[in-house]
Parts: sequence; structure tokens; C-alpha cells
Amino acid sequence: MFLHYLDLAWRSIRKTPALSLLMVIAIAIGIGITTTTLNIYQMMAFNPTGERSEQLHAVQLWSQGTDTWDEFHMQVTYQDAMNLRKLSPQFKQLVQMRSGMVIQSDNKDFEPELRAVRVTDGDFFSMFSVPFRYGSSWSKQVDESAAYQVVISENYNQKIFGGGDNVGKTIFLNRKPYQIVGIIDSWNPQPRFYDPMNGAFSNAEEIFVPFSLLAIEKYQVWGNTSGWKYEEVKTFEDKLLSEKVWLQFWIELNTVEERQQYKQILTDYVAEQKALGRFTDNKSASESHKLNTVEEWLEHSEVVKEDNRILVGLSFLFLSVCLVNILGLMLTKFLKRAPEVGVRRAIGASRFQIFSQYMVEVGIIGLLGGITGLVLASGLLYLLGERFAMDSSLISLSHSMWFIAPFIAIVTTLLAGVFPAWKVCHTKPSIYLKSQ
Amino acid sequence: MLHIKPIVSALWRSKSGPVLLLLQIVLSVAIVANASFIIHERLQKMTRDSGIEEQEVLTINVYNFGENVDYDLQRRKDIEIIKALPNVKNASLVSMLPMSGSGWSSGFTAEPYDPKKPHQHSVSSGIYFNDHHFIDTFGLTLVEGRNFRADEISFSQNLSDVKAIISKAFATEMWGNESAIGKKFYHGFKEHITVVGVLEFLQGDSVGRDTFENGIILSYDFIGAGKNAIYTIRANVKDIPQLEKDIKDALMADNPYRVFQGFETIAEIRKEAYRNDALMVSALSMIIVLLLVIASLGLSGMVMFNIQKRTKQIGTRRALGAKKRDIIQQFLMENYLICAAGALLGGILAVQLGNQLMRHYNLPMLDLSYVFFTVAGLFVVTTIAVLLPARKAAAISPAIATRSV
Repeated sequence: MFLHYLDLAWRSIRKTPALSLLMVIAIAIGIGITTTTLNIYQMMAFNPTGERSEQLHAVQLWSQGTDTWDEFHMQVTYQDAMNLRKLSPQFKQLVQMRSGMVIQSDNKDFEPELRAVRVTDGDFFSMFSVPFRYGSSWSKQVDESAAYQVVISENYNQKIFGGGDNVGKTIFLNRKPYQIVGIIDSWNPQPRFYDPMNGAFSNAEEIFVPFSLLAIEKYQVWGNTSGWKYEEVKTFEDKLLSEKVWLQFWIELNTVEERQQYKQILTDYVAEQKALGRFTDNKSASESHKLNTVEEWLEHSEVVKEDNRILVGLSFLFLSVCLVNILGLMLTKFLKRAPEVGVRRAIGASRFQIFSQYMVEVGIIGLLGGITGLVLASGLLYLLGERFAMDSSLISLSHSMWFIAPFIAIVTTLLAGVFPAWKVCHTKPSIYLKSQ
Repeated sequence: MLHIKPIVSALWRSKSGPVLLLLQIVLSVAIVANASFIIHERLQKMTRDSGIEEQEVLTINVYNFGENVDYDLQRRKDIEIIKALPNVKNASLVSMLPMSGSGWSSGFTAEPYDPKKPHQHSVSSGIYFNDHHFIDTFGLTLVEGRNFRADEISFSQNLSDVKAIISKAFATEMWGNESAIGKKFYHGFKEHITVVGVLEFLQGDSVGRDTFENGIILSYDFIGAGKNAIYTIRANVKDIPQLEKDIKDALMADNPYRVFQGFETIAEIRKEAYRNDALMVSALSMIIVLLLVIASLGLSGMVMFNIQKRTKQIGTRRALGAKKRDIIQQFLMENYLICAAGALLGGILAVQLGNQLMRHYNLPMLDLSYVFFTVAGLFVVTTIAVLLPARKAAAISPAIATRSV
């Protein structure tokens, strides 16, 4: 029966090509716009850590005094980072920041280049599930007593050495030799959850050095430094001792108990610091810290931009206009065929049969519109990439859209089709028989 | 004569078509009014005057990584090397670039900071540390006071008793309509700064910030943060491509341990800074255009059907002496009635939608003029969409109409 309806539907579509085309165009444009905005939204709102989201926590401290900014800052001071690191050696944890250095190698063909570098602790790789191709992270000991070691990406390994296991070889960062201890496989989470402040959709760094080198090498901060009070900061040492926030702290807590335990540790820590004359705001010690899961962290850093929410909302409204439009067109089309239905009803077709046949026809139009809309969406995304240099992770059409877009298209057209189809199958045969 | 009553009763008899049309217009008004409002907001934001000769100012990032380099000396030497090149009008070492998205800002007070007096009014501003070449290199306009004198330039990081040239926006926020020249303002409790000049415009680094138009230049010759330095060069637009190469060669000849980044003019930096706003403007414009296309296609389709359905009626009316004009007028009148009702309901919905957007997002209140313009636009578009099929209807000859069906 379905095949028969399909055949009838196809004939009917071909009989009114202009109207059918209009409907397909309307649904295609609606779906094209909605898919485009939804795709970007989905990519932005994606949480790349999956199940690990609940275990990884970004730590925030209310280290400011009164009369200053009135929310948790996303970064912490050097003093706090160093203290936190010592408080809970039983947990995996890291302090980190973004820097940049000039990279050179013994390879004479390799031009010196300025690259972003992540300055972090060794647990970075296991906490954030970074896969290694060769070697491994630097040892726990290096986090305590600094050593000139470096982890690079496979991509960068290719670029400098032309690939292969180059663990043990040396590269130069700002003309200082660093020994390669590990080479990671491709790893580029989008959004860049572990440091959304420095561009949530820029690429992950490809060079990693131990945080323990920071005070020795006085790495430049490639990121935000904020201060809530007036402090004279002239030297790097001043900065380390200051109340300025410029570092990020992450900890892995696998169970609810661990989370509770760590919250207590933080409360005790803040109380102790308050006693020392820091954390001078009126907030209580237990309220002066915050643990964020990755999910919460992405939310907090406003990775999904306001503009995108507005666009998604407007595009769904736009889709509803298309829906109303199609409803009108379908009503037009079906009522035009009322005489034909009258005859069919008179010779015995049931209402249900006629209704089903029309719904099949509507479904086909929806499917055609959905597919055209999908093509339109990929074209739009491509244009966005070309004209506005949008980050490539945002403008690739997600695979789920291959199902979502036609699904929305078919559901909306079916919805729009119910009323016209219902109306037409309630046609009284007698009227049309008479007027013939 | 406009025969409204029969038209209304005709519409009333076949409700579904007109109701759908009405719904479509209501939604369209709400969407288009709000979208065009946002577009206008963004365009206004994007076209704010920086006061800079944007096309003529080239910027370069130089990262030095030589060992035992005195960065301070190196930078001063670099500027002299650049100034000595042909076609360079002026050059300056700067602490940050306007609109670049990264830089320095802080709060300043009209009285010294006193910890015993919390909640002092503080004015936030972007900060440039620079010498007396800054204004000329950027092509900025002084509206009051003067430029720094060469002997006022400080070379130490001590900001006490430095001179400042400030933007008019900053002056107004700090002192209202009083003249700012000679006034002092404070950073923290001990650094006091004296105003010597007021610029028409000087923007900060972050185009999204509320205090973006607040900018100050302090008479402190910046030695840069660590290894990175930003140079700005003023030159004729046609000389800029060649200059990029010349500058690089000249600086490399002096010291090869450097990496260059971002040969960009301020005009290019502006484009980059407002990229998201430009994107929003294009996306919303596209939505508006497509919406109008769809709405008018749908409307035409429905009118066409109406005409077919009413061929007999039209023919009869024509036979009874109705002119072509009357037929067209009938369809237009139908459309205007629906449009008017749609405009009213749509206006209400638009304001509601605008309120929601204002509540949840960083948007000001929807200006009602957008609703009016949208409605006016819709009247024009629907008129065209109706007129084309209606003319066809009017061409129906009475004879054919009465004979067929």
C-alpha cells in the first residue's frame, strides 16, 4: 500500500510542480537556516571530556578583598597555586598557563618560529586523556625539581624531524635546550575546555613544558593577568608574590567522597589564609572556593556566545514562519484537488486511505526539503568559513545533522500537513459529484 | 469605493487561508523588527570612529630571543632604524594596539585611593604608555591642550607625576563638562597623573567593553613586557607593502634573533575586531531577506489559488460591470485588511520578543520605529506579491469565466 501511496504522491507532486517546488524551497530555506545555527550551537556547546566531565574540576578562589570585582575569577594567584599543589598530593592535579617561545632545532631547514607553549604539570596528560605516540610525560619528580624537558605533538614532530621516535633528542626554546621526553598523538579538544579564556576554539598547544621551570625561566604570560588592588609589580618575583591572578588550577576528584574531602581541604586552606591576613572579603571560608566540573566550567566561561543563542532562537521562529507558509500552500494545493478526492471517496476510498496518501505526499516534500536544506546549510557554513574566517571546528557540519535536519523537516511538514489532509479527507463526495 | 464589508465577510467564510496569512505576518513582523534592530545596533557599534588614520598605520610585532640583549636599548635602536627608512613618516613603540583585543586597562579615581573610604568612584580606561610621537603616528586629533614635550617623557616605570593625554569620553566621565587640562587623577594611592591634552577619540583594546571609548596616554616611554615589542609606523597607503619587507630586512640586519608577527594595518585590526558583529549582521540580514522571499512566495501562491477558486465569481463580477481595477482592488484590500491586523498583533509580539531578548541578553530596548518600518516594508512586499496574480485575475474575461466549470 505504501508503495502505491508513494506512486500517487509522486504523480500528485508532478501534477503541481510550481506549488510543490515552492513548498520544497520554503522548507529547504527554513531547514537550511535552522541547521546552520543549530550546528554552530551544538559545536560550541559540546563537552569534549564526555564522562570525565564529572571528575575534572577547575578550582576557583575568592582571593580578592572588599571593594573590588564581585564574582569568582577564573584564575588564581601564584601563591595559591603553589599552596594548593602541596595540600593534596594524593590527588592528580595541575597548575598551568599559556606562554609563547621561539622554537629552533638542530635541523638547519627549520626556520625559528614563535609558538604558543603550555606550561603545566605532568598530570596534565593523564588527567585530560592526552594520548602518547612515543615516550611519556616527564616524571613526577620534575614537577618538584625543574628539568629542561618537553613534550611535543606528533604534528610538530613531523615538522621538525620529519616524524619517527625522537624521544631523547633536543629542541631549543628561546635558545635553551630542552630534551624531548614524549610525543603525543593528535589531540585537539574543541572547545578547548582546559583553557577557554584564551580562545575556546583556537587549537591546542603543541608544545608542553614543566611548570616547575616557570620561576627559573620567567616565562611570559600569553593570557590574562588581573589584579584587584593596587600593587607595584616591577619584576617577575614581584608578580609571583603579588595578589594578581594569572594561573589556572585543575584537580581530578573521582568520587563524591573525594569531592567532599577536597572541599574541606579548601575551606581549611582559606581559613588559614584569612588568619594570615589574605582573603579579606567578608565571605566565609566555606563559600570562598568553588569546584567546577568541565560542564560547569564551559558554562561559566560563556563558551556559547549570546549571539548564537539569539540566532538559534530566531532561526526556529523563522522555521515556524516556513511552517505556516507550507501549511497555507498545502491547504491550497489539497483543496484544489478536492473534486478528485470527492470522486475517489464516492468509489469507495476510505478517509484513512486518503489521509495516509496525503501524509505520504507531505512526507516526501519534507524529505526533499530537508535534503535540500542540508545542502544549503553546508553551503552556508562554507561561506561563513570563507568570509568570516570562523574556526574550522565550528563550521564543519556535524554528522548528527544528517539525521536531525531531515527529521526536523519531515516532522514539521507532517505537522503542517495534518490540518490540510484532514480537511480534504472530510470533503463531502456529493458536492463534487453534483458539480461535475 | 472601498467595499470593506463584503470583503470581510468573504474572508470570514473561508477562514483558514487568511488566518494562516495573518499568522505569517505576525511572526514576520516580530522577527524582522527585532532582527533589524539588532543589525542597526551592531552597525552603529562597528562604525564608531577610532580617530586613527587606520589605513596608514602599519603595526608589527617583534619577538626578540637573543641572549644577553638589552631589550630597552634594542627597541630604541629599532625605532631609529625604522624611522631612517624611506617613506616612513613617523614610528612609535607602543604598549598596546587599539581594538586588538589585548592590552592594558585599569581604574582611576579623581581623589587618591583611600582604603578607609570604600566605593570611591573609579573610571575604567585603556592605558597607553608612550612618548610624544604617538599622536602623530596614529594621526589623532587634539581638541584641547597640547602634546607631550620631549622633556616630559619618563623612562622609569614609576608612574608618579607623569603627564597624560586623555580621550574626551574619559574626561567627561571623570569631570563632566569642566575642562580637564591641568587636572590630576590617581592610580592607587600614590600615583598622580596630570592632564595636558584631550583627544577627540582614543579607544581601548577591547571593542566589547563598556568603557571602550575611554583611553589615556601616559608620558612614559614603554620598554615592553619581556621579549615582545609592538612597533607602529605611519606611511602612505601605497608604500605599505614595500615597507613590510624593508622593515623586516633592516631589523634582521641589525640583529637576526627575532621573529616577526602580524604585519597589519589598524584597518585590518578593526576588521578582525568586529568580525563577530559583522557575522551577526550578515546572518540576520540573510534571515530577513529570506523571510521576505518566503512570505511573498507563499502569499503569491495563495492568492493565485484564490483566484482560480474564484474564477467564476470574478467573471460574474466582471460581467456585472466591475472594472479590472475593481478586481485588483478587491484582492489588495483583502491583503491590506489582513496586513493591518497582522501588523497590530505582530507589533505586540515584536515588543514582547524584544523584552525577552533584553532580559536575557545584553540588548537595549527595542525601538518602536523598527516595528513601524517593518510593517511599512511588509505592506510594500505584500502589495507586490498580491498585485502580480491579481492582475492576472483581472484579465479573466467575463465570457470565459461564466462558461467554464
